[in-house]
Amino acid sequence: MTFLLQSIFNGLLAGCIYALFAMGLTLIYGVLNFVNFAHGELIMWGAYFLYLFMESPLGLPLPIALIPALCLTILLGLSMDRFAFKPLRQANRLTLLITALGLSFFLRNGAQLFWGAELRTYGFEIKRGWKIFNISITTNQIAIILTTLVCIAVVYLLLHRSRIGKSMRAVSDNLELARVAGINTRRTIRFAWIMSSSLACIGGILLALDTNLQPGMGMINLVKAFAAILLGGVGNIWGALLGGIVIGFAENLGVLIISTGYKDAIAFGIMVLLLLLKPPILYGSQD
Amino acid sequence: MDLFLHLWVMIFIYTIFAMSLNLEMGYTGLFNFGHVAFFGIGAYVSALLTLHQVPFEFALVAALLAAGLLGFLLSIPSLRLRGDTFGIATLGFGEIIRMVFQNEVWLTKGPMGLPGIPKPVLFSYRFATLPQYLLLTLGFSVLTFLVLRIIIRSPLGRAFKAVREDEVAAVALGKNIFHFRIKSFVIGSVLAGLAGTLWGHYTTFISPGDFTLLETILVLLIVVLGGKGTELGPLVGAVVLIFFQESLRFLRLPAEWSRYLAPLQQMIFGSLLIFLMIYRPEGLLREKGAGR
Repeated sequence: MTFLLQSIFNGLLAGCIYALFAMGLTLIYGVLNFVNFAHGELIMWGAYFLYLFMESPLGLPLPIALIPALCLTILLGLSMDRFAFKPLRQANRLTLLITALGLSFFLRNGAQLFWGAELRTYGFEIKRGWKIFNISITTNQIAIILTTLVCIAVVYLLLHRSRIGKSMRAVSDNLELARVAGINTRRTIRFAWIMSSSLACIGGILLALDTNLQPGMGMINLVKAFAAILLGGVGNIWGALLGGIVIGFAENLGVLIISTGYKDAIAFGIMVLLLLLKPPILYGSQD
Repeated sequence: MDLFLHLWVMIFIYTIFAMSLNLEMGYTGLFNFGHVAFFGIGAYVSALLTLHQVPFEFALVAALLAAGLLGFLLSIPSLRLRGDTFGIATLGFGEIIRMVFQNEVWLTKGPMGLPGIPKPVLFSYRFATLPQYLLLTLGFSVLTFLVLRIIIRSPLGRAFKAVREDEVAAVALGKNIFHFRIKSFVIGSVLAGLAGTLWGHYTTFISPGDFTLLETILVLLIVVLGGKGTELGPLVGAVVLIFFQESLRFLRLPAEWSRYLAPLQQMIFGSLLIFLMIYRPEGLLREKGAGR
């Protein structure tokens, strides 16, 4: 029973992080209408940027190091768009996807070049968690959940209460119509990248706090984030949030049944299952 | 001289691998980003069988069947997807197959890998030395080339292209696009399995680390560089890229450089892919009659 409760709690934790990844991925999908294969690399670089500022020689405390890390990740996201995707706005889908895949590979090996392939952590001491209902909860884990809640609130306010957020929703609804209505689509796209990169950075940091840092962490989480947005309906940000949490639960409860070596495969299993059941949103024609 | 022969063996193996992807991606427009899975299946199935004293002929057939069957099973759920969704589904699939190689230790010895894979014996002729192996890979790549040429120039090949160019028109002409996609995907998987089998018996040692995204990127780059949807593109791409990759290995650079060299080389692959897509998406050879 305790074990089950602990798994549920861990599922919630993982779900929060996946939700942040999925929301970022679906934001770009909504505006630019393609799956950014390099989103995982924003996650990974975000986490490593924080590591850069927290390690010697800088050795800043986490809350301060967060600011330059966030800025650098946003810069990375914006330059991704400027140098790789912007020249291809009119290109066909295959071209765009191969570019994104090449970019993802480039960035992943870039991280490996600087930091090597070994596992790293932020070097916090492992503290004993509190016991609540017999499950152990650490301060880090509470911070993860709280941060996620704050992020969700900010995203909600930006999308529904600010002018730029409203225009972003308009663009993802119908780009041509939004343009006719006088919405500055360029600015909107830039804003979408800023939001997506920030979510990726924060999510990546939370993941690294909970587990560790490694150059390969981006790709596998991209697949999970993708499974989450399929689950929630492609392009729907609140669906992505929900999908992420479901994937988190499924993974942590799934390992009660199957071997932990396949934990990362569960998201893929869910994806295949969804495709077999084929909800109508998934199989629109190739445009 | 040995280096030269080795280069050509690798080039022919990767030409087969690239031709299989070219059929799916170049001709049928399927964005398969997990193609390495079928390469890996071919290598593992044939290696495991020959290590258990099964004759190479049977092991080869079994490897091709396994790759084809897997391709068929994967294609059913995922071919209903739109291009990018399919791409990511195959990407995930590639990772899962690697997880299987890694976790099913009772069968694959996990991360330890499978050493001592025997050299192939076809009709009691043993392909043991480098020139002999070169002959074998050359033979198989010519065979693959001819088979694909026949397929591509047949009505089936034209249907593949129709599916790629305009799905709606293909449907309107009464073509079942789903069937054509499955056919293309299964043929592609079988041929990737062939390339994997040849590769496994050549290196004589395989481990899960050999079947990562790097292989997918490399073969994708070969197809894109050579020219998607061209008959000779895969060969041209393979010559250029395998030459680049393998010659780095033989430069005898100091060992402490290798920590930086491997990621650097892969960064070059990644950026080459981006540059090609932006500045020359059609590759070195251009498909005949292609628009734009």
